Amino acid sequence: MTNTDLDGFRAHVRDWCRAHVPGDWRGAQTGVPDEEFVAFQKEWFQELRRAGFAVPHWPAEWGGGMSVAEQVVLYQELAAHDAPRLVLAFVSIHHAASTLLAAGTDEQRKKHLPAILDGEIWVQGFSEPGAGSDLAALSTSARKEGDTYVVNGQKLWASGAAHADWCLLLARTDPDAPKRRGISYFLMDMRTPGVDVRSIRQATGEHHFCEIFLDDVVIPAENLIGPENDGWRVAQETLGAERGMTMLELAERLGNGGFRWLVELCARPGPEGARPIDDPLVRDRLAELETELTGLRALCSELVANDSPGPADASIVKLYYSELLQRMTDFGAETAGLAAHTVLRKPLSSGWESGAWVLDFVGSWEWTIPGGSSEIQRSIIGERGLGLPREPKGNR
Amino acid sequence: MTAQESELAELHGELRAVARDLLGKAGAGAAADWRSVAEAGWLGLEAPDELDGADATFAEVAVILRETGRAAASGPYPTAAVLGVGTLNLLEPRPGRDALLLETVSGAVVPAVALEGGATRGVPFWIDRTPDGPLLHGTATFVPDAHQADRLLLPALDPDGVPVVVSADPRAAGLNVAEQPVLDETRRFGSVAADGVGVDAESVWRFRGDPGAVVQRLYDRAAVAVACDSLGLSEAMLDATVAYAGVREQFGRPIGSFQAVKHACADMLVQVTVSRKLVDAAVRAQVVDAPEAAVAASMAKSYACSAAVEVAGKAMQLHGGMGYTWESGIHVYLKRAALNRSLFGSAAAHRRRLAERYSPLVRGRLDA
Repeated sequence: MTNTDLDGFRAHVRDWCRAHVPGDWRGAQTGVPDEEFVAFQKEWFQELRRAGFAVPHWPAEWGGGMSVAEQVVLYQELAAHDAPRLVLAFVSIHHAASTLLAAGTDEQRKKHLPAILDGEIWVQGFSEPGAGSDLAALSTSARKEGDTYVVNGQKLWASGAAHADWCLLLARTDPDAPKRRGISYFLMDMRTPGVDVRSIRQATGEHHFCEIFLDDVVIPAENLIGPENDGWRVAQETLGAERGMTMLELAERLGNGGFRWLVELCARPGPEGARPIDDPLVRDRLAELETELTGLRALCSELVANDSPGPADASIVKLYYSELLQRMTDFGAETAGLAAHTVLRKPLSSGWESGAWVLDFVGSWEWTIPGGSSEIQRSIIGERGLGLPREPKGNR
Repeated sequence: MTAQESELAELHGELRAVARDLLGKAGAGAAADWRSVAEAGWLGLEAPDELDGADATFAEVAVILRETGRAAASGPYPTAAVLGVGTLNLLEPRPGRDALLLETVSGAVVPAVALEGGATRGVPFWIDRTPDGPLLHGTATFVPDAHQADRLLLPALDPDGVPVVVSADPRAAGLNVAEQPVLDETRRFGSVAADGVGVDAESVWRFRGDPGAVVQRLYDRAAVAVACDSLGLSEAMLDATVAYAGVREQFGRPIGSFQAVKHACADMLVQVTVSRKLVDAAVRAQVVDAPEAAVAASMAKSYACSAAVEVAGKAMQLHGGMGYTWESGIHVYLKRAALNRSLFGSAAAHRRRLAERYSPLVRGRLDA
């Protein structure tokens, strides 16, 4: 695609955003009940879908097919026009889809990919009370019985499970194998009897995270994804490759939305009348953040465009994004001062940088802890990226 | 990757291998054999074909600069290729300029361009009209290789305030060139002071295009070149540290297996990776003189040169007592990284430049 084509595409997205991004959605989506948030998310998803913008990263045959350059433009413009984010469908369009595309059977793909486009919501059931950073230590069991598996256990930190139709589930099928070799990967219908979801209140006061209790849940064998006992590898490979896709959108959002918010914040007079942006120290911090954001955006677009990324590239991006988000929101909270502490709720459907700076800052730990904490990422980068020796002890 | 891009990547790979070999033969901190440098064609990469050049771009020069940083090499290659050839290319063709470019490409002459070594902008010299004819005044400090240059190119404001270049013999009357010894033993700098140096019309060379913009391009080019050097030296320090942490044993196991060491190395890799992206973008913008070239230069310079100091410092720390010895040579990299950080604009100066763009972004201040 030439630059002229890309300019034309940008103009098209701009026009579309002007016509379709709901006027005061931030105000309207602040403090609303869950059902309204879910309805708003599903409507917005269909609006994007009609424009061909909902799943740009999917293969063309399933309704996507945009080049990386086009995706970058799309995400830039959505962020610049402050469009709502696809929060509810995040796991569905990214993790579920990439798992189905990489490891699913034709039947599984045909069943779920169109359903996701129609609004099917997915949740990830990976972590457990005893298996956080050491995810492979998970103990939820799946016992084979005829053409089914019977699942028992407890999942934790399942973001959005309360609204989910399906679950990406890791469970142990061989308790005697070394811990990474006895895990299988399932597609679990959340309406199955024995599935019980309870929400957990997070540091921000919100309730996105859930516990999932599994009590003799019967999963048909056809809902196994990838070979039995090979679930660890399937999850690692599909989710590692997926990381770039999710980060591309988040990085452009942070660069084109979050940074602009920050500059606007710094231009408002503070308690003593002076504007932070006139302070050389503030300007220096802003320029430093802008530089880092530029680096992050280059990292993400190149990770996605690269057919054979390095073994730690995805970890580098995750680590850098989450700590940069934390630095940015920290700076926002510091600059916004006491006034930011009166913002008790953030608009749902917004990005991780919503402009409710203190809540955003507290919420940034939702990036540095889950999905492999920053400490785990550093170990991966050291071992896989640099070839440093592993820890001598411990059961892997 | 397009066919053109992969061809370029292959070319750069070959160039890198040759450079690593040639600079490696000289050993860390040493200068590559000057005749070999000239014969390799590195000096004429950007010069036009009719003046014995290769008609290549700054992207190829950047490959050599990065390897120069990796080897912490001394010698006047950056002086000749970055500001020497860069300035001559941006001047209107004329016999004196063409001859100097030819001599620079062949390696016979090293011209030093006297921009202010610590700055991001400015024209250090000026020409006064006097009854005794035009006279040159001004000073520039921290001019790379000034005291050993065969020819000085002095950016000056002509009597009408237009930036030009005065080509001067370093031994000319009224011109005082003095070495400024620095801690980084791989670098040489000099100050250049002109106190009423007679200027004849033949030695006043004019820029092509908007002279003010061209001078700024030269400062930006110099800043990106330093960022390339810092990127290369960061890569060298990371490699050395990872290798050391893999073999050095304490408490019965390699120190690299301890998380404190491993995580520090991971942070170094993240910094080097981000530096690489920013430097690559700045180099690409230089090649096509893109509108965002100045912004990209400031980002690359401020980030990569600050990161290099942290990476070299972390390398010294993780090498332990051995790292602090003169013999280990890590101090060479640390000093070079610290010097690079201050050369052609501090990180703070470059960020100040970036921040100049924010005021118009702010509503109500579009007139600013």
